[in-house]
Amino acid sequence: MSLSAPDDLLALADGILERVGRDRAEVVVVEQEEGLTRFARNQIHQNVAERSRRFRLRLMGDEQVGVAEIRGDVDDLAGRLVAAAEAARRLSPPGDVTPLPRPDAGPDGPVAYSAATAACTPEWRADQVATVAAVSAMAGLEAFGALETSLTHTAVANSLGVRRHAESTAASLVCVTRGENGWGYADRHHHDAAGIDAEAMTAEAVETCGRNQGAVPIEPGVYPVVLSPYAVADLVGHLSDLGFSALAHQEHRSFMRAGEKLMSSLVSIADDASHPGGMPFPFDDEGVSTRCVSCIEEGVCRSFVHDSATALREDVPSTGHALPMPNTFGPWARHLVVSPGESSLEELIAGCDGGLYVTRLWYVRDVHPLRTVITGMTRDGTFLIESGRLGRPVRDLRFTQSIVDALAEVSGVGRERSIELDENERAMLVPALGIGRFAFTS
Amino acid sequence: MKDIAELALDVAVSSGASYADCRVVQRGVQALSVKDGSFAAVSSFEDEGVGIRVIVDGAWGFAGVDRLDSDSLGEAARTACRIARASSRLRRQAVRLAPCPVAVGEYRTPIGRDPFEVSLEEKMDLLIRADEAMASVEGVTTHEASLEFVREHRLFASSEGSVVEQVLVQSGGGMDATATSADDVQTRSFPNSFGRHQVCAGYEAIEGLDLAGSAPRIAAEAVALLSAPPCPTGRLTLILDGTQAALQVHESCGHPTELDRVRGDEAAYAGTSFLTPDLVGRFRYGSEQVTITADATTPGGLGTYGWDDEGVEAQRTVLVDRGLFRGYMSSRETAADYGWQSSGAMRAESWNRIPLIRMTNVNLEPGQSSLEEMIASTEHGVYLQTNRSWSIDDRRLNFQFGTQNGWEIRDGRPVRLVKNALYAGRTPEFWRSCDAVAGPSEWRVWGVVNCGKGQPSQLMHVGHGAAPCRFRGVAVTAAS
Repeated sequence: MSLSAPDDLLALADGILERVGRDRAEVVVVEQEEGLTRFARNQIHQNVAERSRRFRLRLMGDEQVGVAEIRGDVDDLAGRLVAAAEAARRLSPPGDVTPLPRPDAGPDGPVAYSAATAACTPEWRADQVATVAAVSAMAGLEAFGALETSLTHTAVANSLGVRRHAESTAASLVCVTRGENGWGYADRHHHDAAGIDAEAMTAEAVETCGRNQGAVPIEPGVYPVVLSPYAVADLVGHLSDLGFSALAHQEHRSFMRAGEKLMSSLVSIADDASHPGGMPFPFDDEGVSTRCVSCIEEGVCRSFVHDSATALREDVPSTGHALPMPNTFGPWARHLVVSPGESSLEELIAGCDGGLYVTRLWYVRDVHPLRTVITGMTRDGTFLIESGRLGRPVRDLRFTQSIVDALAEVSGVGRERSIELDENERAMLVPALGIGRFAFTS
Repeated sequence: MKDIAELALDVAVSSGASYADCRVVQRGVQALSVKDGSFAAVSSFEDEGVGIRVIVDGAWGFAGVDRLDSDSLGEAARTACRIARASSRLRRQAVRLAPCPVAVGEYRTPIGRDPFEVSLEEKMDLLIRADEAMASVEGVTTHEASLEFVREHRLFASSEGSVVEQVLVQSGGGMDATATSADDVQTRSFPNSFGRHQVCAGYEAIEGLDLAGSAPRIAAEAVALLSAPPCPTGRLTLILDGTQAALQVHESCGHPTELDRVRGDEAAYAGTSFLTPDLVGRFRYGSEQVTITADATTPGGLGTYGWDDEGVEAQRTVLVDRGLFRGYMSSRETAADYGWQSSGAMRAESWNRIPLIRMTNVNLEPGQSSLEEMIASTEHGVYLQTNRSWSIDDRRLNFQFGTQNGWEIRDGRPVRLVKNALYAGRTPEFWRSCDAVAGPSEWRVWGVVNCGKGQPSQLMHVGHGAAPCRFRGVAVTAAS
């Protein structure tokens, strides 16, 4: 894969700003190449690639804002973009307009980038999937999943001098394996495709699947649980969306009460866009450098993530968590990191006798946002913990549980962490968790 | 557009494709929103690109590109073929496509007022009035109103000779009012939740919503919910409004009748289905009151078009007939597995995604009853309105849904507002408990704008015709 050179993207952005003239404006250019090879029943059944470049112009007045976006190589792109944004701005009713950010001298790094990922080919992806299929077939199983690699160039420039650029890569391999009477799951995510060991990942899915044959029903109820990192990612993602945003706080719908201890002292969650163990990226959709924000510190609610609009209301600096502006969604934590503990997975399981080990959560939705109550299903491997070890598999269960209440009952945190994606495909660095009480309702 | 498609197909075939199709898409979106009297945003999105799908050596390949010059198109077509050859390394059976007639023609969404010719002033004035009307209600914390308009000009061509050109137009609008207290947050949405109600129609659909007229009621309901008691708990009679019935149909019938899920194509992501092919014609999915169809010809539906993204003509498929499971939504490839014809349900989010089997308009056909009659003949139950939360398992069996608004019914009358309603069940038991569906006068086509499926993920706009309906002995409780 190869995209435009960094200077080319910034030059395109500069060209649009020149066309705008003396008005205040912001241009974001995102150029992307991605390939995804999908497989089912140990065969490749869908295999796709895409190349695109998208331009976004935000045109500012004192009281009016207009936004225009174009994806595609259209004639007179700059002219059409400016005309559309101007028409939108002119007819937008007067309102509160958050000023454009000024340059903050932050570096354009660290960034999750790998030349190996940028060079991935359809043939390479097919070979990796062939490995997955072979390992599954050897075990008498069928594999289903997807391998995706992407290269993204992002440039942000505004008329006040912000000029940011970053080149990032991502690789994800997701697999479920199917036996006669049960499934298993595993995934791997990394910026470096060479860092994904397809054989080892498949072996994990195969092993889980092997354990998950002939699941038995159990009575719903409250159980102690060990949640794998796959499951923890969903929990943490929903918790973040229910309260880490400054807008949620300002609109009185965040569960967070700053300074109050709501969770176990073992729980610390930050948004850290520079963490080397995650997928680092240096700036937000306004080109503001993304700062590390400690949201939960040893169980205590600490800080919120801001964009320039929420920051202006509180007269504080933006923390660099803006989505494309303006928007009504508010700032978004995109690099969540849960602090590691001291326990191995085996120790967590051994300390949860009589409980359940949950491989994965599925279709998690908010039920009562202020109380952080969510519901969803377990999936692809839920096991009784018997005599301190993984025991019989059980049929999938529905849970309805307050996340805050669950995290108040954390009894152990894994020392190993992995990069997982939540349902919004947001990468986060999470460990396994032992939780004293978790409610399964059917 | 036709020249672009022909060039892409020529290169694909000369590069070894035994089958090729090409979609050229030009899409325009206009979005407007106002919030809390101080935030307003107007934005536009123009999108243009080509998606090329090929079969080479018995396997699929796809490439999408946003540049329409001949060099870029040729490169994309060759890339698609290269990808297909890579796929063929791990393909045991060659792709087979059910035959379909060569399609040539045009289709345009019937509209009254072209939404892109309505002035921004008129649109913004409508939103401001709705926002101000919500703000006038004491106790409302935040309030927001929005509109969205979509025009998609799409040309499909295939190496089999099909060439169809379509212009699809959508208009959508909605509003949310949120009230908060120290320990509660309640939101009411109108006409539907998750941002807006959307249909394939012109601006007349927005005028018909009367957002400003409904705004005070919606805002007042949000405030009232703060002090409302929780929904009662028990096995109760449950009446769903049309919007919630639409979502129930979407999750528990629309998805499990997608034939690719049955094959396992979505097992790693969206899941599979409990409706296996051996159950067709034999399985009692619901009561005699329940007839569900997939109909890409329903006027105004978000899933209404002339041809799908494989060039198969829009059609109506019976999924459930008076409670008996009858059929699936399918593609040419999945239909070929069973010796069937495609049901014309292949749809792609845009040029950069392959078509997948997606819902068209999955409709719960109207019955003979009425909301008034259902309430009057309910001894103890709840009437629930507007979805708030939704969750279902990966086979589409175990579900739990929550709504924004509820009314407890006693002795045939709604007696009090209740909040945080949740109901749960298993799909076939639930639909078998349906004993009434309201008639045509209360039947309406609703739009779902956030249906997710596929890897890479695609969001699809789908339609659901539904009317209020009643179910007996459902597990109901309150979120706490």
